[in-house]
Amino acid sequence: MEDLALYSVIAIALAFDFTNGFHDAANSIATVVATRVLTPQLAVVWAAAFNFIAFLVFKTHVASTIAKGVVEQDVLSIGVIFAGLVGAIVWNLVTYFLGLPSSSSHALVGGIVGAAVAKSGWSAVVSSGLSKIAVFIVLAPLMGLAVAFIFMVIVLQFGARFHNVDQLNRGFRKLQLVSAGAYSLGHGGNDAQKTMGIILALLIATHKVPATSDVPIWVVLSAHTAIAAGTLSGGWRIVHTLGSRITKLQPAGGVSAESAAAATLFFVSAHGIPVSTTHTITGCIVGVGSIHRLSAVRWGVAGRVVWAWILTIPGAAIVAALVYAILAVF
Amino acid sequence: MDRRALFFLGAAVVCAALIAETEAGLREVPIGLTIVYVLLALASYLDWRSTHR
Repeated sequence: MEDLALYSVIAIALAFDFTNGFHDAANSIATVVATRVLTPQLAVVWAAAFNFIAFLVFKTHVASTIAKGVVEQDVLSIGVIFAGLVGAIVWNLVTYFLGLPSSSSHALVGGIVGAAVAKSGWSAVVSSGLSKIAVFIVLAPLMGLAVAFIFMVIVLQFGARFHNVDQLNRGFRKLQLVSAGAYSLGHGGNDAQKTMGIILALLIATHKVPATSDVPIWVVLSAHTAIAAGTLSGGWRIVHTLGSRITKLQPAGGVSAESAAAATLFFVSAHGIPVSTTHTITGCIVGVGSIHRLSAVRWGVAGRVVWAWILTIPGAAIVAALVYAILAVF
Repeated sequence: MDRRALFFLGAAVVCAALIAETEAGLREVPIGLTIVYVLLALASYLDWRSTHR
């Protein structure tokens, strides 16, 4: 019976990874589509391929943080993780249909924290781990923004030497394939690992693997497959919000934004910090947009994004706590 | 007044405020970002001043 529950919750975790794909992973291709370097159909194939091969590049530090660094391990059970996942999925679907680029990652963290608190109170939370995640909720987009701005300054200095703007733009259109690939790699490296972390926590909670265990390879491969499949299935509302409504991007801006986002994601993944890829790319797009003047950024849209960020952890936590409370009755 | 410089200065203040909250091994990130944003604010202000003379 426990095995049936375990594999059912693993299936839900992979379904969450899939929803992460169509909700978050589509951000990978926002700038490529906005600058018309690739058609939407080709862009999702490109992003999904790099999402999948990310396991060859990154170690599983982020998965370990999710499995062992957010909630005390003795509190984690199949019921807590199930409630946390349901909270995150419900939050993701609501924000998806509202067209809000909220963070699947923070929905997941909020969901798990909410369910764990509903079970054992605030002592269930690993405050140092949650604090690290909370700090980088703010720092990751600011890192991306600063790096994108600096990249853009360098690109403009380089571009000033060219008299043929069309030729320069053609060069950047090709380069954008590389930067979009790098960003998708960073995205796969950070986001798929959150699902791996959840599955690892489940396996530890049910004593299928020891508490010190690393992520089994079947978990790594299934998480990357699920996120890549999700990316392939789309997410056009959110691509539209990020790619064209925050600021209008040219190929040079797209390269700068994606390269900056890739650099940020590579850094945080190497340090085991789960961040929102949505936050990161949004910060980068704002950084590129503000190179000329701040009015190039549509702050109303960016402000809506920020509200979605602020509400995500408590929103997902409340839904997960309610789900856990209902489960506990039965 | 240069709004971009003010924005960067605000970002520098936020990063500086997070230095104490960041774990020791990662503290160079908010410190570095604070310095970068102060420099960007300064550069942005100088750029604005030069074009508004």
